[in-house]
Amino acid sequence: MDALYNTHVKLLAFDFLKLTPSPTEPSSFFRRGKRLSRAETVGIVVTRDLKPGKFVKFTIDDGSGCISCVLWLNQLNSSYFSRRNPSDVRLIAQAATDFASDLQLGVLARVRGRITDYRGALQISVSDVVVERDPNMQILHWLDCMRSLVMLLARILDSDCSASCARICGVER
Amino acid sequence: MATSAVSFGALVTLEELVPSSSQFTQGASLRVTGKLQEYDIETAIASIVEGNASLKIDTQHLKVNLRIGSLYQFIGELLIDPSNQAILRARVGRNVDGMDLNLYHQSLQLLRDFQAEQMNSTTS
Repeated sequence: MDALYNTHVKLLAFDFLKLTPSPTEPSSFFRRGKRLSRAETVGIVVTRDLKPGKFVKFTIDDGSGCISCVLWLNQLNSSYFSRRNPSDVRLIAQAATDFASDLQLGVLARVRGRITDYRGALQISVSDVVVERDPNMQILHWLDCMRSLVMLLARILDSDCSASCARICGVER
Repeated sequence: MATSAVSFGALVTLEELVPSSSQFTQGASLRVTGKLQEYDIETAIASIVEGNASLKIDTQHLKVNLRIGSLYQFIGELLIDPSNQAILRARVGRNVDGMDLNLYHQSLQLLRDFQAEQMNSTTS
């Protein structure tokens, strides 16, 4: 069982953009041989395109790259949700609307969601958003991402890269 | 590799942003951090400082409350005039009062070293 498959893996943008789609499963992506489906990013909202009742597309810049994100706002009209309890769908729709209003240009946001491939471009289909008020959260995210990649490399590879990255991050292998 | 329509702001310190630096390029997308030292409300030009270095920021497109003495971070494009004076035309900006600058600088270097190591491992 892939331990990371249903986890929102913290990824730097430059790492996220290197994910490779699975040739057999549209919801799976590979990062150094590990199968992922969900990701978490922290960065500044640098673009925002709102289509009320449909979606808000935005871009997160974390200093290492830009990640395109889409937050769907069409739950009340979507056939995907038509079989669910209407009160649950209203709650989901309200949460999405609240997230959309939080996503303003220049804010530092923590975004989690499913990794998707739209016309050859990787993006995150957003499940939740938290606006981070503490400016140090961007730095913490960098450190978390580097640490988790070093741990991953230590598990799957016994390589010079793993050893040198571990030295850089001060992580014991 | 997937690409975004907007360029990310490369992390750079003001002290690194000198004419001899590779980041000192017309149109370069940068993310800079500094303390607001001056602000001209008529021209919307701000001046931020970090250590002994300073940089002018064009804030006309921003909706940020600017307060002298506070720490700000801006992402935008570098514009260089014929006399080699640079100004960052900011796309976004935010108040980062409370940011641990020592941690920021150390982590920034760590991030660069880490990314360089990743690039070396994929090309070798």
